[in-house]
Amino acid sequence: MATVFSQYAWLVPAFPLAAFAILTAFGRGWSRAGAWIATLASLASFALSLIIAIERIVSNAEDYVGGFDWLRAGAVNLTAGYEVTNLTALMLVVVTLVAFLVNLYSLGYMGEDERMTVFFSYVALFTSSMLGLVLADNLMILYVCWELVGVCSFLLIGFWYRKPEARAAAKKAFIVTRVGDLGLLIAILLLFWYMPDHALDFASLHNVFHTQSGIISTSITTLIALLIFVGAVGKSGQFPLHVWLPDAMEGPTPISALIHAATMVAAGVFLVVRTFDIFQASQAALDTVAIVGAFTALFAATIGLAQNDIKRVLAYSTVSQLGYMMLALGVGSTTAAMFHLFTHAFFKALLFLGAGSVIHAIHTQDIREMGGLGSRMKATAWTFGIGVLALSGIPPLSGFWSKDAILSAALEKSPWLFAVGVLTAFFTALYMARLFFLVFTGKARGDAATYARAKDAPWTMTIPLIVLAALAVVSGFVQTPMSGWLGSWLWSGEAKEHAEGVAIVASVAASLLGIYLGWLIYAKGTIRRDAVSSRLPWLVKLLERKYYIDELYELLFVRSLRGLGKALAVFDDVVVDGAVKLAGGAVAGLGRLNTRLQNGQVQTYGLVAVIATVVLVLAIAGRRFW
Amino acid sequence: MLNFNIDFTGEFFAFFLLAVCAIVGAVLAVNFTKVVHMALSLAFTFVSLAGLYVVLQAEFVAFVQVLLYVGAVTILMIFGIMMTKHQSEGQERGRPLLETLAAIGCLCLFGILFYAIRSAGFAKPDVPLPDNNTLSIGKLLYSTYAIPFELVSVLLTVAFIGAVALAKREEDQP
Amino acid sequence: MSMLASYLTLAAVLFCIGLYGVLTKRNAIIVLLSIELMLNAANLNLVAFSKYGVVPSLTGQVFSLFAMTLAAAEAAVGVAVLIALYRRRATVNVDEFDELRR
Repeated sequence: MATVFSQYAWLVPAFPLAAFAILTAFGRGWSRAGAWIATLASLASFALSLIIAIERIVSNAEDYVGGFDWLRAGAVNLTAGYEVTNLTALMLVVVTLVAFLVNLYSLGYMGEDERMTVFFSYVALFTSSMLGLVLADNLMILYVCWELVGVCSFLLIGFWYRKPEARAAAKKAFIVTRVGDLGLLIAILLLFWYMPDHALDFASLHNVFHTQSGIISTSITTLIALLIFVGAVGKSGQFPLHVWLPDAMEGPTPISALIHAATMVAAGVFLVVRTFDIFQASQAALDTVAIVGAFTALFAATIGLAQNDIKRVLAYSTVSQLGYMMLALGVGSTTAAMFHLFTHAFFKALLFLGAGSVIHAIHTQDIREMGGLGSRMKATAWTFGIGVLALSGIPPLSGFWSKDAILSAALEKSPWLFAVGVLTAFFTALYMARLFFLVFTGKARGDAATYARAKDAPWTMTIPLIVLAALAVVSGFVQTPMSGWLGSWLWSGEAKEHAEGVAIVASVAASLLGIYLGWLIYAKGTIRRDAVSSRLPWLVKLLERKYYIDELYELLFVRSLRGLGKALAVFDDVVVDGAVKLAGGAVAGLGRLNTRLQNGQVQTYGLVAVIATVVLVLAIAGRRFW
Repeated sequence: MLNFNIDFTGEFFAFFLLAVCAIVGAVLAVNFTKVVHMALSLAFTFVSLAGLYVVLQAEFVAFVQVLLYVGAVTILMIFGIMMTKHQSEGQERGRPLLETLAAIGCLCLFGILFYAIRSAGFAKPDVPLPDNNTLSIGKLLYSTYAIPFELVSVLLTVAFIGAVALAKREEDQP
Repeated sequence: MSMLASYLTLAAVLFCIGLYGVLTKRNAIIVLLSIELMLNAANLNLVAFSKYGVVPSLTGQVFSLFAMTLAAAEAAVGVAVLIALYRRRATVNVDEFDELRR
């Protein structure tokens, strides 16, 4: 059945793009008005996305593709278009909802910043690019939006550019994701080379790879899949390109919520889902995805245990949860991955915005200086607590259902992956409990005056928290083992996922154990806090320093590249500039030579005439010799 | 290209002798240090050339050569030397670059001319010249070449007047 | 090698020596003398061709007479110019006459 509203899907990214244009052109000196324009634009996008999604849910709609021819060169025909399927409609809703809530939140959080309009214009550009990425119908447009999203991330991380850490973090983010983008670009080029008719749109990809017609050999398919995965690793912060995500916390907290929790980092997962036909054609690629995902999940969870900055704990938690999504994809369950993406967007954004409220009130980010805020900031504490429970996977909150889907799928494929997943769930619960108890319970450890002034944030910052908390509770019910509605809606009736009892029991047990342990250590104090750090200080140091990965990269890559840069600078100075100076110098020297010829003496002129005559005669008459 | 088939006649012998004299005179002329020596060795060259004209059966031209060049031009030059202060010794500071390049240029020019002469094929003539050289030249001058003859005389007059005008001492203006 | 070629070669030698003198000598009188040498070489060519040329005739000799006359006239005028210059600048060094530079 055809749809009415899907054809207007191009408006969804157009609203924020228009807001960006207006704010950039006229925004100087508008402050509040500009912010409201951006917020209203994102509200309009959200409304339209909701309508499209509801229509697609109610009527069993077919996919819609629209667009125009972009480039035509001989046999190559590139189109620029958008594709509205159930999957993209879901992503539209997620992105626009979180974007709208973050816009609303930023009205309060960035209210005193002098560059508020610039901030909102960047956020609008980001939203527009992310929506473009979601709606793209071929890999070229997706890549363009992918890069745009990276640029916006760079701009927003370095928004407070006067801080040197922010500048460094922005550069790091851009460069590290660039490494991943290179992989994606090579994959696109390979596809362009090998695909019949050089087609890059997802429909053609599905046709070629799904039916396994053998047009493209297995080794090439594996290579392409791995390269696409490299792009996803960069964008989604998987090991070894995870280093930029924690540093990206230098940006304002609403950005951390929007970009680095809910949307941009999910783009990597989204890319793999979109091109999943390629992955399914290559078992090696799937295994790689699963192993990298599982490893990253465990790796990041252990680091999160030892961090003291509230936002960094959440950043490592994001990396870990993205690892879960990759694990789900690696064991073949796109439904579980998309489901977890969907729920994670809500509760992670909730946690970040809650952290932002805390930071706004206390003016510090170090959890060792917080404590006992629960009594002063009730709304924030309650919503944050719901987020913590959802993330830890406590039923019946949304995180439980989605994590369980992943663990069930993992158990089917490999017990080792399942074990890693359960262990990670335990650590997740432990560090989140640590975070919650250290921040909101106990005695205030920080400055007493600041503590006395702390109170809940204004309504623009609290309403989004409440909305997200509600979603964190109910959004899990779209895909339960009993009724797998989400899976069948997304993939139009493909195999239903079913859950294993073992998985449910194991994950709940791990989560409860983690929370209990955290309560014992940090709230009740039964186990001393430095129980581990006094016995194994080297372990704590290792985790705190993030396994020294940053130092390793500095040694391996940064130093050598910087040396190469210096060498090239010398080359540029000496060789290139030298050549230019040589050209100029040669002309000047020739001029000086000619000055000596024009000395006014007739004998000199005569000599020149004789030599010229000789040369002419030799040239003209000498041609007979060769 | 360099095919040496010279028939050694008396004419060639005379030519060779006079040619050596001419070249020696010219080379010495550019190598002496004193100006007057240079002028005199060049006069010696002129005389050898007159001898060559005699060998070439151009007696009148030889006579005029001696009269004009040795008699008039050389004396004129010596007058010029006497009337201008000159460094009788050559200047110590040479102009090595100029001299080297000039030598190279002249050598190349000579090489080109030599090559051109050698590769040209000259036919052997068989028509002898008239016997009475002066009479024949006189006849030619007054018949075929009368107009150039008159023009040359005009030119000589103009040159004479011009030389006088140029070299005249300027009178003091009152 | 015919006789003509010998005469022409001699003329070429004298011409080049004269050219060297023109380009190199510092005294203006010597430059003028070298120019006379070059003209003589040309005259020798003319007379040689008048005897050994394709059609031997007296035209070459007549032409050489004219050339000689002109050379003498030119020498006279040249010396007159030189004397006038010498009166102004008190030198006959050719490389001190460089007003053409400006």
